[in-house]
Amino acid sequence: MEFENIYKTYWDRIFRLCMGFVNDYDAAQDLAQETFIIVWQKLDTFRNESSIGTWIFRIASNNCLRQIEKNKRFPKSELPVHIIEEKQTSLEPQIQFLYKCIAELPETERIIISLELEDVRQTEIAKIVGLSETNTRVKIHRIKEKLTQKFKENGQ
Amino acid sequence: MDNNIDFKDLWKKQSVSQPNFEDLLTRLKQFKKSALRSLWITNVLLIATSIFVAVIWYYYQPQFVSTKIGIIITILTMMMYLVIYNRLLNAYNNIDSTQTNQEYVQNLISIKKKQHYLQSTILSLYFVLLTIGLCLYMYEYASRMTVFWAIFTYAMTLFWMGINWFFIRPKQIKKQQAKINNLIEKFEDVSNQLH
Repeated sequence: MEFENIYKTYWDRIFRLCMGFVNDYDAAQDLAQETFIIVWQKLDTFRNESSIGTWIFRIASNNCLRQIEKNKRFPKSELPVHIIEEKQTSLEPQIQFLYKCIAELPETERIIISLELEDVRQTEIAKIVGLSETNTRVKIHRIKEKLTQKFKENGQ
Repeated sequence: MDNNIDFKDLWKKQSVSQPNFEDLLTRLKQFKKSALRSLWITNVLLIATSIFVAVIWYYYQPQFVSTKIGIIITILTMMMYLVIYNRLLNAYNNIDSTQTNQEYVQNLISIKKKQHYLQSTILSLYFVLLTIGLCLYMYEYASRMTVFWAIFTYAMTLFWMGINWFFIRPKQIKKQQAKINNLIEKFEDVSNQLH
């Protein structure tokens, strides 16, 4: 697949994955861009051993994990604050709450649930994260329970 | 509130703005340039140091073998430091990001551990070799001084190296180690989530 096509097809999905991880619009935008830089660099090493989706999601989730290190680099930049505020007030509070809850989960759970909500098949999720399928299924179930619980407590 | 909150629906309603493809291409170009630039800087530094030493060697025509050995040790030490540091950085930047999360985190941890070991060992080795190199290098010139000045010169040099060894080096190592330990701990925590 051509890079431009990949970019257009996957940007939204990758962005949401990053957003679920950091719950910060700017940081997620940066992470998504970094992901596509890596995809662009590595595209000719892609062999069809896995689906392109699995391949891209692996890059994106690994890149998210890596930003743990850069954490301190993320005090939000001065300029675009206003833009964020506009965007966030227009969001339904429930959506905001969902992303907030997800970003508070342990790192790997954030990735797993984001992929699940993104309609990635559970066999694929297992291949992205590196867990067995059974284990993945159990985890997804537990995370959903956690989220439901949080939503109830919050009266959403 | 029932149990069936439609998380998927909520999830997908998150507003997304896809940056223009052209913008991404510009960023890609910048990225390429900056990668090239850092490669250049390292190499230029290495070459410049070597030329500098060659010039000293040529103009001052050292007579003693000790001077020549001193120069070589000093240069090799600096080169060793630069090369090792760069290779480590490269290894870290080039971890295969198409592996599973589990493998990826394992890789991050192993590289950080290597770095942890190298930083303290290499930094100490660097200081020892640099001191030896300098002392050898100075011997020829000191031998032409009066005894008082020769001792004074050596004393001052060793005093300065001593300050580096006993104060600056441990502080530097401690600072680096604290940072790396913290990271290793975090990555190990992530890795444990996958068991």
